[in-house]
Amino acid sequence: MKIMVAQHGGQAAGINLNRPPQVIDSAALDESKAAELKGLVAAATSAPSSAKSTGKARDEMSYTITIQDQGRETALSQSDTTMSADFAKLLAWLQRCPKN
Amino acid sequence: MFTNRCRCINCITPPHILNKLLENSDGRIRDAALRTLLVTSRLRGERTVRGLIASTAAASPQGLRTISDCANNTSLPAATIGRTEDGSASTDDSVNRAFDGLGETRDFYKEIFDRDSLDGHGIRLNGYVHYGASFNNAFWNGSEMIFGDGDGVLFTDFTKSLNVMAHELTHGVTEFTAGLEYHDQSGALNESISDVFGCLVEQWVRKQTSDQADWLIGAEVFTPDIGGDALRSMKNPGKAYNNPTLGRDPQPDHMSKYVSMPDTDEGDNGGVHINSGIPNKAFFLTSIGIGGFAWEAPGQIWYAALQASTSTTNFQEFADTTYLKAGQLYGSQGTEQQAVLSAWKEVGIRISGVRSLAGTTARMRRPVAAAAANNGRDEDPADVARKIEQLTGQLATLSKEVANLKSKPH
Repeated sequence: MKIMVAQHGGQAAGINLNRPPQVIDSAALDESKAAELKGLVAAATSAPSSAKSTGKARDEMSYTITIQDQGRETALSQSDTTMSADFAKLLAWLQRCPKN
Repeated sequence: MFTNRCRCINCITPPHILNKLLENSDGRIRDAALRTLLVTSRLRGERTVRGLIASTAAASPQGLRTISDCANNTSLPAATIGRTEDGSASTDDSVNRAFDGLGETRDFYKEIFDRDSLDGHGIRLNGYVHYGASFNNAFWNGSEMIFGDGDGVLFTDFTKSLNVMAHELTHGVTEFTAGLEYHDQSGALNESISDVFGCLVEQWVRKQTSDQADWLIGAEVFTPDIGGDALRSMKNPGKAYNNPTLGRDPQPDHMSKYVSMPDTDEGDNGGVHINSGIPNKAFFLTSIGIGGFAWEAPGQIWYAALQASTSTTNFQEFADTTYLKAGQLYGSQGTEQQAVLSAWKEVGIRISGVRSLAGTTARMRRPVAAAAANNGRDEDPADVARKIEQLTGQLATLSKEVANLKSKPH
């Protein structure tokens, strides 16, 4: 399973535009970490955000997490003010993950 | 560059010449001179009174502050209170910085624009620090300010930058005034307004003149290892950073370099943080052109233009409005209006129909002047001019009396 994380907007929008997405390959993780990631991905995928954007937030960032697994690709896109708890957990985990 | 000369006379024709013109045999010339004197006198009086009111008003009891600690979570309801308006200082520097930054921004709007908090009616200010884990951002969620600690690699704590905090609060001011839609040009104006007033708050706190200020947004948020000046530069859009880690600052400084981007999250809602470089540069040039403190004439012009804008105002419309407001506040063809005209021209925006706009200004003023001049009677213009002088003297006396009252202990 390969995961790409891209972030957009925010105070550092200009910098985010230039930066390539972060890529995490579960094959490069040890077994326990890979299993943990798989669980987080399953939770985030099955529980989409229920919050709706008010359209009033300014400088918030949005995130696109793209999951490539066994020939299938799933993209999850949420923002600072609308993300579900499960999406937030997955994002935080990915952001802590050492860069491949 | 324009200088500060003749700052006490905010019209291009000096009063003594206007007084002479009142004696002219041509009635049209007498009328024109009288209208100019009336408008100039009225505006001078408005500025004096506005300044008195603003300085008389102490820090508002409204707009109370609360800073909460998210403890590196993203749940705002779960955050714990770190400091309140009347509470003692926290042991947490981020809490205290946010508390001070919100207070300084609130005081700036009160003292300079006589605005009571973000909505003008004393709305509470709620700030949240330590949001998320390694959160590289600060944002306004529609009602509250949220600040991240940074990841320690690229960014550090966003509360370290006063103009970033003031930038977020100004999004609230914009929402309660023009309500500029957050995409494409109106969105870039929204961002620019936050950068402009964010910078002004910082310059006001530091008592810096336009040429002393660095005009950098978020100069304090990069970690020492990152070779960048700031998130954005109002003085030099496109040159805030340029290195392999961050890439190159993509902000344009001229309409010919306007960056067309999709109105999507990925496209920064049409480049709202990118194309804001153009109006940012226009404000910087206006401030340098006028000289002195940027929160004075340049800030007053931009604030008046913001209040006159709508949710869909674009660059051209905003530029035209700043030109109109500069004329209304400081005199047609004065140093301030010329600086505004020149600044927008330098970023590739020509004030549309300067002649027709000037005509609009004259038409807007004429009924007031005519009503005041005639008042149902035929009066000698020279007599009216003398009355204006008398009223100006009375206003000065009144101003001194108010100042004396202020200085007496309560």
